[in-house]
Amino acid sequence: MAGPATGVPSGARIPDLRLRTDLVSGFLRRRDCVVPSCRSMFRSKKRHELPDALREIGGLADGRSKQAAERTGVPEAEAYGVATFYHLLARPDVSLRVCTGLSCRMAGADAVLETAQALGISSEGCSCLAACDVPPAVLAGRRVLPRVTATTLKQAGSVAALGSAEWKGAIGPDPGDAASLALHLAAPPDFSGRAFAAAQQLGADGVIAAIETSGLQGRGGAGFPAHIKWKGVASQAEKVRYVVLNADEGEPGTFKDREVLLRRPDLVLEGMAIAAAAVGASDVYLYLRGEFEIPWGIVEAAIAQFTASGVLGDVRFHMHAGNGAYICGEETALLEALEGKRGMPRLKPPFPTEFGLWGKPTLMHNVETIGCVPAIVLRGGEWFKQLGKTEAGSKLYCISGDVQRPGTYELPLGVCLDELVEAAGGYVGELRAFSPGGASSGFLPASERTRPLDFRALADAGSMLGSAGVVVLNTSADLKRAVFDQLRFFEDESCGQCAPCRIGTRYLREQFIKHQDAPDVRVEALRHAAEVAWEMNEGSICGLGQAAPLPLTSAMQHFPEEFEA
Amino acid sequence: MTDSLELDGKRVSFSAGETLLEVARRHGKEIPTLCHDPRLKPAGACRTCLVEVNGFRRMPPACATRATADMQVTTNSERIQRHRQGLLSLYLTDHPETQPERLSKNQLVEMAERYGAAGDWGSMASERAGRREDRNPYVHFEPDLCILCARCTRYCDEVEAVNAITLAHRGAKTTIATVDQASLMDTSCELCGGCIDVCPTGAMTEKLPLTRQVKPSKHLKVVRSTCNYCGVGCQLDLNVDTSANEGRGKVVRVTSPETGTTTNDGNLCVKGRFAYDFVDHPDRLTVPLIRQPDGSFKEASWEEAIRVAADGLSRVKSRHGADALGFVSSSRCTMEDNYVVQKLSRAAFGTNNCHQCAAT
Repeated sequence: MAGPATGVPSGARIPDLRLRTDLVSGFLRRRDCVVPSCRSMFRSKKRHELPDALREIGGLADGRSKQAAERTGVPEAEAYGVATFYHLLARPDVSLRVCTGLSCRMAGADAVLETAQALGISSEGCSCLAACDVPPAVLAGRRVLPRVTATTLKQAGSVAALGSAEWKGAIGPDPGDAASLALHLAAPPDFSGRAFAAAQQLGADGVIAAIETSGLQGRGGAGFPAHIKWKGVASQAEKVRYVVLNADEGEPGTFKDREVLLRRPDLVLEGMAIAAAAVGASDVYLYLRGEFEIPWGIVEAAIAQFTASGVLGDVRFHMHAGNGAYICGEETALLEALEGKRGMPRLKPPFPTEFGLWGKPTLMHNVETIGCVPAIVLRGGEWFKQLGKTEAGSKLYCISGDVQRPGTYELPLGVCLDELVEAAGGYVGELRAFSPGGASSGFLPASERTRPLDFRALADAGSMLGSAGVVVLNTSADLKRAVFDQLRFFEDESCGQCAPCRIGTRYLREQFIKHQDAPDVRVEALRHAAEVAWEMNEGSICGLGQAAPLPLTSAMQHFPEEFEA
Repeated sequence: MTDSLELDGKRVSFSAGETLLEVARRHGKEIPTLCHDPRLKPAGACRTCLVEVNGFRRMPPACATRATADMQVTTNSERIQRHRQGLLSLYLTDHPETQPERLSKNQLVEMAERYGAAGDWGSMASERAGRREDRNPYVHFEPDLCILCARCTRYCDEVEAVNAITLAHRGAKTTIATVDQASLMDTSCELCGGCIDVCPTGAMTEKLPLTRQVKPSKHLKVVRSTCNYCGVGCQLDLNVDTSANEGRGKVVRVTSPETGTTTNDGNLCVKGRFAYDFVDHPDRLTVPLIRQPDGSFKEASWEEAIRVAADGLSRVKSRHGADALGFVSSSRCTMEDNYVVQKLSRAAFGTNNCHQCAAT
């Protein structure tokens, strides 16, 4: 019995079958996408449901991550990683959170927190709640309550007794002529869909041309020309595209998006529908920060109204609640959060216009930006452009701190601080410093009160318009306490992904405390602050780390007397 | 498809899909990395590999930036040097000042020395949590030494698809965790030890007593070998303490060969990485033994042993026919070994009764 023939004929060339490891490893390296965040994209189809699952189960506690993992098919460890990332999920037992943002602090937030703790309420300080116009603000569950002072809390005696009524902030000024404002928050919502109908008449190219003519810049902080994003998405070969609303408003000092959602959800939804039609998307995702329980209900009702009437075509709206992480206002971190992951920013490029939600081309806009779209479509790009003073459009400025009537004011883009404060009823006390665009913009001295509050002029001053969250500090305000608050804010909200931000934010805050508390090392403690700031700006992945040192460095620059030995 | 770009003023070619790091390293340029591992998708998180590219306002990470035609790339400049020094100085503020003598080199500390990072920026309180108590026998995590490069968590996810560990918490409190900080034994962990292999700072190490008598790596001789636990043939590096065992040497640690140089690409399993005690175990058979009529074993030469086996098998065949024989080989044998066993079965003895224990 012969075995199978196996012999190699003599003289035959035996091929070299040794594995070419260089080729294999080269293949392994390039087998896939360079973008890290798509790695688990195809694993669980329910991954995006993970944050909601964790929330429904009751937030983080032993065993809950496993439950959420079972429900969604996401690995247990990753469920834990997500649960620990978001404050509202990580500490579900806290029943009252007191805003420690600059304006709330100036209005007595410390005393509120002390009172809460004295009353035995499970409480902690938290990052800005986007309610700087109604300070001190607190968060009960996921509902922001305005003007909760130590006295009111003491009288109420419990969180439940604080009530949960819906509320709105102050707006202004009365324009006289409605045609001078793009958003016009005082006007009643308009669910007729006439801007959407007008956009259909214009066609996609016509709408994008109008956006380009209007000179609309992103109002979330970066001031990026909107039409470039629209064209970027519309020109992708990939046909599955998304539109995402960034309503994760959390920049300390900023509350305009909240006010838009409370008063004019129609503008936002109609703007999203117009954008979706223009860039070829049919699914629209709305990411609202988790603390926006009241805006959530209003937007939900508005969606129902539009869906019932059908005036916005067949666009599908999907709502997603955040879970307490400022960083998710960064667009790529927001996308990660929408996908159910830890909100850690992606590397850019590629930008969302090319590689966005689930890797598809995605148009992302801030609430205010998208809210300008219906007016631009109805009245034309040129009209919008003319509304501005130094740059295009009217602009929602949030003003809080030491002014008479804190609130959201729609004014020509490029007004100066004095003009803005005049609209808000004037200064309280004598102006010493102001923060023109949220914590990320640092502090400017009173001498800058006539500088146009626009994207370019403030960048020239080493600051930024950002989200136009203007906080005014008068001569009685504790500037160094303000610096400390901002430093701690960035430390609390750093995602921890990259070293310059993760380490730098903590380093600066700790050194600042040493500078404050230890007279013998007062100057020495901040000796490396400038170099750390330079490195954070150069080395950080996203804008958070890049801007985080600014409150300190700008204060050192403009108020050197505060830092002398 | 190849194209070309300008690397430090010199025209060089690259293939489609290559990253700047790959192109630069291929041309002998030095770019430091901590979070990079060729097996993993780039994270760009450690920030050590930033380079300058014309037209980019910010310095992009070389590990995650794809080469494109006519890019002008600078891998060393004043700005890059300042960045490296600043970044590494920051890392040092968050790293233990005194280094325990470690099994593995601490790449961060070496890099800081190499690039002249200031070590005098002070130190800050780190609050990275470790696991409360982990009764797993092999893997130890030292949170203070961790730099959150996430190589371990990405390796666990992308290469092993095990997902036992994750980044947890955020900001300065970010740490490497298991679900609910449970012991690795209560997670999906397979104890492959890949996290130890990829860790650049020695935050993940072998646990005591595995490492009790281990000298620092510079005193050990590294011997490339083939794992004999299964037929895959993974290459591994035996770290031998040559002075142990009265000069006969002792394997004290197993490490992975460099990525991209072996068929297993540096990956090992729990057996290959941790189960090397058998090498000098007293019960280990090192010479053939022949059973004597009284049941005892007698040491023999290979020639003797093979003859006894051949005689016995031939006897059974002549008395009962070839199909009275059966050949079972071990999954620890290589494919070639297994091939020879079936050849022996079919061609030499004439039976198809052959099997291999992994083929069930």
